[in-house]
Amino acid sequence: MSTFTITTLNGVSYAFILFLLAAGFSLTFGVMGVLNLAHGALFMMGAYFGLAIVARLDTFWLGVLIAALGTGLVGLGIYYFFLRHLYGKVPEQAVLTIGLGYAFANIVLWIWGPFAKMGMTPSLFTGVVRVGTLAFPIYRLAIVGIGLAVLILLWWMQDKTRVGAIIRAGMDNKEMTRSLGINYGLVSTLVFLFGAALAGFAGMLGTPILGAFPSMGDALLLLTLMVVVVGGTGYIQGTMLGALIIGLLDTFGKAYVPEIALFTSYMIFLVVLLIRPSGLIGRKVF
Amino acid sequence: MALLEVQDLSVHFGGLAAVKDVTFSIEQGERLAMIGPNGAGKTTLFNLLTGQLKPSGGTVIFKGQDITHKAVYARTQLGIARSFQITSLFPNETVRVNALIALQGTRAGRYGMFGVFRKDKALRAAAQELLESIGLWEKRDETVSWLAYGEQRKLEMGLSLASGPKLLLLDEPSCGLTPTESADITSRIRELGSKITVLMIAHDMDLVFGVAERIILLHFGEISCEGTCDEIRANQTVKDIYMGSRKQSSAGG
Amino acid sequence: MAAQPRPGIFTGRLFTRKAVAVPAERSVRSFIPVVLPVIVIGALLLLLPTFVPSYIQSLVTKMMIFALFGVSMNILWGYGGIPTFGHAAFFGFGGYACGILIIHGGISNFFLNLVLAIALTALLAAGLGIPAFRVYGVGASDNPIYFLLVTLAFGELLVRVAITARSLTGGSTGLAGIPYPQLDVLGITINSRSFYFLVLIIVVVCFFIIYRIVNSHYGYALRGIHDNERRMQALGYNTWLYKYTSYILAGAFGGIAGVLFAYFGGVMIPGTMGMAMTDIVFLIVILGSASVYFGPIVGAVVIVGVEYLASLYVPDRWPLIMGAIIVVAIMVIPQGIGVLLLDLWRRLIHGST
Repeated sequence: MSTFTITTLNGVSYAFILFLLAAGFSLTFGVMGVLNLAHGALFMMGAYFGLAIVARLDTFWLGVLIAALGTGLVGLGIYYFFLRHLYGKVPEQAVLTIGLGYAFANIVLWIWGPFAKMGMTPSLFTGVVRVGTLAFPIYRLAIVGIGLAVLILLWWMQDKTRVGAIIRAGMDNKEMTRSLGINYGLVSTLVFLFGAALAGFAGMLGTPILGAFPSMGDALLLLTLMVVVVGGTGYIQGTMLGALIIGLLDTFGKAYVPEIALFTSYMIFLVVLLIRPSGLIGRKVF
Repeated sequence: MALLEVQDLSVHFGGLAAVKDVTFSIEQGERLAMIGPNGAGKTTLFNLLTGQLKPSGGTVIFKGQDITHKAVYARTQLGIARSFQITSLFPNETVRVNALIALQGTRAGRYGMFGVFRKDKALRAAAQELLESIGLWEKRDETVSWLAYGEQRKLEMGLSLASGPKLLLLDEPSCGLTPTESADITSRIRELGSKITVLMIAHDMDLVFGVAERIILLHFGEISCEGTCDEIRANQTVKDIYMGSRKQSSAGG
Repeated sequence: MAAQPRPGIFTGRLFTRKAVAVPAERSVRSFIPVVLPVIVIGALLLLLPTFVPSYIQSLVTKMMIFALFGVSMNILWGYGGIPTFGHAAFFGFGGYACGILIIHGGISNFFLNLVLAIALTALLAAGLGIPAFRVYGVGASDNPIYFLLVTLAFGELLVRVAITARSLTGGSTGLAGIPYPQLDVLGITINSRSFYFLVLIIVVVCFFIIYRIVNSHYGYALRGIHDNERRMQALGYNTWLYKYTSYILAGAFGGIAGVLFAYFGGVMIPGTMGMAMTDIVFLIVILGSASVYFGPIVGAVVIVGVEYLASLYVPDRWPLIMGAIIVVAIMVIPQGIGVLLLDLWRRLIHGST
């Protein structure tokens, strides 16, 4: 029983990290139809930027901030120099951003070396909370809390704010939104920046749990894709649901049946693809 | 037995019924025109008939067969062909290759991987015949994206004839054409012969009265009236709808 | 003859055409300009081993393998307009199938091994094609993103499978010890030089078959689907069937390239099925020009060549160099080198037009 509860907490906190990562991707991809496959690499870079700050200044939260800002800037660069000119040319965007992702990984490898780094939990959230015989790591609870806060914020922005409305309108009809006098170019740039920053934010936040190594981007990109396909794009709730499913399946799989751990997520991915290609809570695309 | 029987055909988008309980039939060899203001659902109805859109209700029966849920390509194989209001060709290929591809669609050998497509003698002969019949043989080696609009419209209709259809659905064949070009299209449609049945969407009343034996008026997705040219000409509802729609369109600019 | 804008280096961005046909009818009829380069290059390739050191021979072998890989992928992208981002899956799987059949299955006869590997790869493509095309939409321009992502995911999934199935695939360190092809049946023992010729023969035969396919009735149907899928359906074509079968065909030929690659390196690692490898083949295709048949061949020569130079002078930094090539290929010469070469060739033949 206790293993079950602990595994659930682990699964949910992992799911929230995936959520933060996938939310950024879902925004740029679902909203702008722009494909940034360097997204996993941005997560990785966030982890490295943050850990570099921790190494120098011994402060976790500044590290998180720098991670988000740093990857936000990198994302801005990717958008401004490249993706902006490739509007509508999705395969080219894919080739380019995949290549950039590997280039970034190579630079990180060059600067920081190939060995994995592990993050330390911030002093604020170190330790465990005891409930009966169970010991819940506080940091995992903190991630759930932070993740929930971001989820609520994004959900509120999606449904209740003008920005959210603009973005949703743009998803449906870009030309119309432009003709209403809205500077969609600016909105797009900011959305992309935000999505990239979110990835870096998630990356640093995940370091005490996932660590950091230069080639981690690939696996994370794959997870992001699965979350987005399973959950659907266009709605933040979908991304959350997808993250929960993939995160929990993956964690429970690893805990109880390690040999087939990977396959549970893949099976869900394939099943959803065959039965509901638009995702469980997605804008109906197919 | 009528060639095409449509019974209570409907389609809904969200709460909106774009096409509602449409029932009509067409006899072999007939020339039927469908008119109506913009947004009346004419192209939507075409999409239902060709299978591009799945209906929410009703049936479509062609040559006695229920084709309501058949795929687009299957309906073409049965003998239904369609032209598009917005010209839909193969822009990067030459006129001749456009014709070749169109002709091959309903012929055996279209999965063949061993012949040289462009050297297929039978196909080339058929293409020559087709292109000559629509007056585009001289332009056979032009890339389609470089043709004049009027020539593209001719090719548009030509491609829909390529599959040797029994029922030809023409969506605004004279859309955007000059009066001379429109007259040309009108006479070509008239020359199609009784083996081909024609259902045509048109706004150009010269074209309609020049070709149609029977006319259906579609309004807000429903059939408003039906009749011969003279009946429709005299019909007050038609006048109201069209006078109304002309007022709307001049206001809209 | 209609005056069409010729894509040049600086106008390339404005005039990027969606990939379609092999050069226009007029040039095809003039026998010499098309066949001459082929004959010259063919002769060079045949004479190569006699005159160059073995590392160059090895390099050219690798170029041929990747050229086939690229041409196989271009069936889908250049001709079909299908943005497949999981093509490496078939390449790597073919190589693994070959290696596993030899090492675990004891099937060392080259021909039997090749046939089985192709069959298995085709089966994989048939299996993956079903869910993949579920998310395709009519006409790639409508929903290319989903298909792209799903095929990408498939490739990466296979990488994870290869890593996990350690007993079969050797896990993340890979499957090692793949010997040269065994042609004892013909009484030939393969060494590095005869391997070169074996690859040359197989690759040329495959090029020929693919060339015939893309110029056949089937091939033009595929091109039609690329240009206007909706119209193709209206003309009676079962477009799904064409896309699906082309996916299997492309996968099979990719698998052949993979088999050759397995013999070439003697080792198969999981990464050969993944995103990085798919990116390489996509780069090969678009750098070389997706819109001409020989484009990917040019792309393969360039990429394999540059990678080799990079390994000599700046080892470990290849991803950065590749990133730079990608940027140039996409932003500066989007129409690809092949189109430029064709242009140059036409100017030489016909004088300036």
